[in-house]
Amino acid sequence: MATANTEEEKSKSEQQKNHGGGGGFTRWAVLAVIFRLTLIYFPGNLNLSSRPEVSTPLTSIRRLAEGYWLKQSSMSPYAGSMYHGSPLLLSVLGPLTVKRIEGQPSHILCSLVFVLADLISAILLRATGRKLQMAYRKSLKSLNLLNKSTDSGGLSSGDIAALVYLWNPFTIVACVGLSTSPVENLFNILTLYGAATGIAPLAAFGWVMATHLSLYPAILIIPVILVLGYGPDAPPSKLFRSKENGKVGDDKSSQEIIFSWGRVLHLLVWTSVWSVYVLVLCSISVKQHSSLQEMFQRTYGFILTVEDLSPNIGVLWYFFAEVFDFFRDFFLIVFHSNILFMILPLAIRLKHRPCFLAFVYIAISSMLKSYPSVGDPALYLGLLGLFLDELADMQFCFFLFCGYVGVSVLSPVMHNLWIWRGTGNANFYYATAMAYACFQIVLVVESVSSMLNHDRKLMKLSASKLQK
Amino acid sequence: MAEVEKKEVAAATPPWKPKPRPIVRLGIVLISHSLLVSVVCCTAGVVALFLLPMLAKNTYISENALMPGSASSMLSNDDISEAERLAKDLTSLNSGAADAGIERRRVLAKYLSDLGVEVGYHKFEPHQNQFHPLHFFSSPDSGLSRENGSCSSYGINVVGIIRAPQADGKEAIVLVTPFNFRKNSSSEALSISIGYAVFSLLSRVTWLAKDIIWLVADSQYGEYASVASWLRDYHIPVFSASSSDNADSCFEGNNINLLREESLDQTEISSGFRRAGTMAAALVLKVTDVKGQLEDTLSVYAEASNGQMPNLDLINVVNYLAVHRQGLRVKVEKFISVLRWEWIWVLGDTLNFIGKVAGSLNPEWKFGISTPDYVEGTATLANLLYRQALGIPTGPHGAFRDFQVDAITLEISPKVVYTNQGRRNEFILRSARLIEGVVRSVNNLLEKFHQSFFLYLLTSPAKFVSVGVYMIGFALLVAPLPLVAASLYVDANKPDPSSQGPKHKLQINFKPWKWLSAAKQVFTVHAWGVFVSLLPYFISQIPNSTPAAHSIIWFSLSTFGLLVLYLITKSPFKPQKGEWENLKSVTISVVFIGLLLMSVVNFATAQIGALVLVPACLLAQPLKLDIRDASLKSFLRIACNVFISFVAFPPVGFFVLKGVNEGSGNMDVGEFWTWLESLWAWNSATYIYIGMVHLPCWVLCLHILLHSC
Repeated sequence: MATANTEEEKSKSEQQKNHGGGGGFTRWAVLAVIFRLTLIYFPGNLNLSSRPEVSTPLTSIRRLAEGYWLKQSSMSPYAGSMYHGSPLLLSVLGPLTVKRIEGQPSHILCSLVFVLADLISAILLRATGRKLQMAYRKSLKSLNLLNKSTDSGGLSSGDIAALVYLWNPFTIVACVGLSTSPVENLFNILTLYGAATGIAPLAAFGWVMATHLSLYPAILIIPVILVLGYGPDAPPSKLFRSKENGKVGDDKSSQEIIFSWGRVLHLLVWTSVWSVYVLVLCSISVKQHSSLQEMFQRTYGFILTVEDLSPNIGVLWYFFAEVFDFFRDFFLIVFHSNILFMILPLAIRLKHRPCFLAFVYIAISSMLKSYPSVGDPALYLGLLGLFLDELADMQFCFFLFCGYVGVSVLSPVMHNLWIWRGTGNANFYYATAMAYACFQIVLVVESVSSMLNHDRKLMKLSASKLQK
Repeated sequence: MAEVEKKEVAAATPPWKPKPRPIVRLGIVLISHSLLVSVVCCTAGVVALFLLPMLAKNTYISENALMPGSASSMLSNDDISEAERLAKDLTSLNSGAADAGIERRRVLAKYLSDLGVEVGYHKFEPHQNQFHPLHFFSSPDSGLSRENGSCSSYGINVVGIIRAPQADGKEAIVLVTPFNFRKNSSSEALSISIGYAVFSLLSRVTWLAKDIIWLVADSQYGEYASVASWLRDYHIPVFSASSSDNADSCFEGNNINLLREESLDQTEISSGFRRAGTMAAALVLKVTDVKGQLEDTLSVYAEASNGQMPNLDLINVVNYLAVHRQGLRVKVEKFISVLRWEWIWVLGDTLNFIGKVAGSLNPEWKFGISTPDYVEGTATLANLLYRQALGIPTGPHGAFRDFQVDAITLEISPKVVYTNQGRRNEFILRSARLIEGVVRSVNNLLEKFHQSFFLYLLTSPAKFVSVGVYMIGFALLVAPLPLVAASLYVDANKPDPSSQGPKHKLQINFKPWKWLSAAKQVFTVHAWGVFVSLLPYFISQIPNSTPAAHSIIWFSLSTFGLLVLYLITKSPFKPQKGEWENLKSVTISVVFIGLLLMSVVNFATAQIGALVLVPACLLAQPLKLDIRDASLKSFLRIACNVFISFVAFPPVGFFVLKGVNEGSGNMDVGEFWTWLESLWAWNSATYIYIGMVHLPCWVLCLHILLHSC
C-alpha cells in the first residue's frame, strides 16, 4: 500500500506539472482531504494506530486517552509511564478522545483535528514555498541570472511541496493512524513560515510549541535566527560581494548581507514571552496532581534517557536493549551529542540557506531521534519539495525512491515475521531500520551536496557573466 | 571565449572531479558490464538451485535438553490392551444409529475420566474460510468474524488434560488425533488406540513437567477446521456476554446437554473450556492404510500456511526416534513425476561423476552424491518447494503455526491391515513408544524451540538445506535486477550531447526526474493488479455458476479494466527517447522489491517466481527494435521473449505445470479458478504475489515488448 501511495503521489505531482494552474492545487488538496476522510471511515480493519511505525510512546493516541483518563480520575497523567506528551495536548485532545458520536468510528473528532492540522500545514508550506521562490527569483535577478527557462516549471515549488506533504503515504498513515505527529509537524512548519515571512512572534510561537511538544525542534532556533537575520535562502553572500567588486553601485544586494540584529532580538523577546506563557499554562494544567518538574522528567527526560525500548523504526531501541547498564549513560551522551555535533558545521556551511538548513536539521534529528515515527519523514519529505528548483539535479533520486518504497514495505513484514510468526527475530526488523537510516543519510548527503553544487553553478555562471 | 572556458575548466575540474571511491568504482564496473554479470549470475542462480540436494547437510539435534531416546520406554502391554478395548468399544457401536456419535464420545469420555484426567467437550462451528488479503499483516485473530451461522452444523471435540504432577501448569504438550465420531474407520480407531495408550501411560508417570493435552478432534468437517477452532478458543477467550448467550441458545435443545447430563454419573466432565499452559509443541497423529508397502512407514508433514515450517529440532527428534529406536521408515512427501524425468537422472549421473573426479583429485572434497540419492532429493525438494509456495498447510498442524506453536503431523501407515491381534499390538506398541519418546524429549525442554532452524528445506527426512545456503542461489538469481535497472537508468538519462544548449544559462532541467512518468505507468498497472486480485471476492458472490463461468467473467473484467486504463492514460505524445528504458528500469526495480519481499514472506514462492520473472524482465526489449535489427541474436531474443511471456501468464503457467506433472489429460478452464480460490481461501500470500507482483509485471513486460519506440 505504501508503494502504491508513494507512486501515486509522485504521479500526481507529475500530472500537476503538466497541467499547471492554481486550481490544480486546490483540487488535489481537497481530494487529499477526502481521501483521508474515507480512510478514517473505513472499518477498523487497517488497525494503523497500533503499528509501531505510527504510534510511538510519544505520539500514540491510546496513551493520550489513558493519560486523560488518569487526569480525570484525579491522578497525575504521567503516573504509570503511560503518557509522555504535553499537558496542553492532553487538555485539547483529551476531551475529544472520550467523546463518541453514535454510529461513527471512535476517535473521529481527533481524526478530524489531525486532518485539519495536515491541511493547515500544507497551506503554510505552500505560502512558505511562495516566499522562498520569490526570494530566489529576486536574488537571481540581482545577479542577472534569471532567464525564461527557470520559470517554465508550471507548478511552483511551494505547491509541489504542499502536495507532496498531503499525498505522501507517510503523512496519510500518520494522520489516519491517529498519531499526534501531524500536530507536531504543524508547529514545525509554522515556525518556518513565521521565519520566512519575517513575522517574529509567529516564528517564536511555533518554535516554542514545537519544542514543547517534541524537544528536537529546539535546534531549529538557529535556522530561524538566520532567516530573520539574513532573510530567506539566497545564493552565498560571496557572490554578491564579488559582483559588487566587479560592478560598483548596486546597493540592493549589499543590503542582503547585513545581519539585522533588531529582528533577532525581537524574536528572542517573543520566544521568552511565549515560553513563559506555555510554562504557565502547563503549570496550571498539571498543578492539581503533578508538578512542572514531573512534567519535564516524564517528557524531556523520557525522550533523552530512551526508557521505552519497544521496537520502532529508529536505531536506538535495539542498541540500548543490548548495551550493558553501566555504559548506558555514556552512550546516551554519545548518541544525543551526535545531533549537537552536526549543528555548528552545518550552520556555518549553509548559513546563506537557513530554510534548507532547517530541513537538514529536521532530517538528521528524525534519523537520530529516540522515538521516530513515520510522521518525521513526512515532514522532511514535504520540506524537500520546497527546494525543488535548487535540487533538480539531485543524484540518486530514483535509488532513494526505490529504497524508501522497499523499506516501507519490508519493515512491516519483518515485524510480522518477528512478532506474529516467530520465525524471524529482532535482527530482521532492526536490519530494515538500519537500511532506513542509511537511506536517510544518503538523502541528506545527496541533498546537501546538490545544494552546494547548485551554489557553485551559480557562482560559475555569475563569474562568467562578469567576465563577459 | 574559448580561453575563458578553458580556464574555467582548469579551475573547476580538479576539485569537483575526484577519483571515485573504490566501492563506487566497483559499482560502475558492474553496471557497465551488466549484461555479462546478469548472464553469469542468473546461470549461477539456476545451477545453485539444482545443486541444493548435493549441498544438503545431515540433520543433527541442536537443543541439548531434548536428549531423545535417553530414557527407556515405560509403555507396557497393559496400556495397549486397555487401548484396544477402547477401540473395540468404539468400533462396536452401530454406526448407522443417529446417536452413535454421542455414544462414542461418551465412551471415550468415560475411559478418559477413568484414567483420572480432566475431560471436557469443545463445541465448534466449522468456519468457512474467508478471503482476507490483510490477514497476513495482522495478528491471527483480527478480522475473524464471530457471527453465528446456522446452528445445524457443529462438531464436538473431546479434550483430555493431564496436569503435570511436578509443574506449575504453565506449559503444555498437545497430542491431536483426528477422529470422525459419526463413522467407523479401522485406521482412525487404530490412531485412537495409539493415542490412548500413550495418554494412559502419561497419566501415571511422575516425570511430567508439562501438562499433556489430548485433543480428539471431530473430523467430520475436516481435520483442520476442528483443530483450528479449538486453538482459536484456547488462545482467544470470548468475554462478550452476547455471544455466549447466542451460543447457548444455539446449543439449547441440542444434544450437547443431553450428552453432558446423560453421560454421566461422574462429575468430572467440565462444562467450561479447559486450558493448560502455553503449548511447547504439538503432534498430530494419524494412521492411514496405504497398500503395497514393504515396511511400516512414518510420513512427516510439516508445512504450515505460507510455507512456514516448525523448528527443525522437532522433526529431528521424531526422525531420530523413529529410525533408531522403533525401526520405522521415515518418509517425506515427494513428487513422483520427478523420478520419471530422464534429464534429472542424467544430471545426477553428471554430478556423481564430477564428485568422483573431485574426490580422486583431493580426498578432502566429499561432495559426491549417488545418483538415486540426488534424484530422490530433488523430488523431495521439488515437492517441498511446491507445497511451501502454495502456502496451504498440509495438515491440521498448520493451525498451530498461526499461534507460534511448533507442530507436525505424523502419518503412520502399517505394512498390511493387521488382522492378527499380536501383530497389531506390536504395531501399536512401536508407534506409541515413538510418541512417548517425543513427548518425553519435549518435556525436557526449558524454553520454546529456538535452537535449530525455522527456515530450511528438507531433501530427505535426515537431510536439510539451511537458509544460508538456499538464499545464495536466490540472491544470485535476483542480483542482476538492480544492476540492470541501474544501467538502464544511466543509459536512459545520459546527457544528450546534441541538445546541450547554451552553457551560460541557468537551466533547471528536470532530467533526473524523467523516471517519474515511468513510475506513474508502473503504479497504474499495479493499481490494476490490486483491482484484479480483489475481483474474485465479488465474482464468487454470484450464485449458481460454475468455476469455468467465474474464470471467464474474471478474465473479461480484468481485460476490460486494462483496456480502460490504457485508453485513459494513453499519452497523445510521441514516445520520447529513453522512455522504454526508463519503464523497464522502474519495472525491474519493482520486481526486485517484490521478490525480496516475497522471499521473506514465503521463500518458495519467491524462488519459483524469480525463475519466471527474472528472465522475463531482463530479456524484455521492444520487438520493433529487434525486428529492425534482424540479426540472429535479435531473432533469438524475440523467440525467448515470446516464449517466456506466453509461459509467464499465470493461467498458462498453471496449465503447463499441470500438464508436465500429470500429463495432458482433460484441461478445464475452471480448474484455474478452483486453484486460485483455494489459495485465497487459505490466506496464502502467493495469491497476493500473483495478483500484485507477478501479473502487473507480466503486463509491463508485454507493454515493453509492444512499445512503439
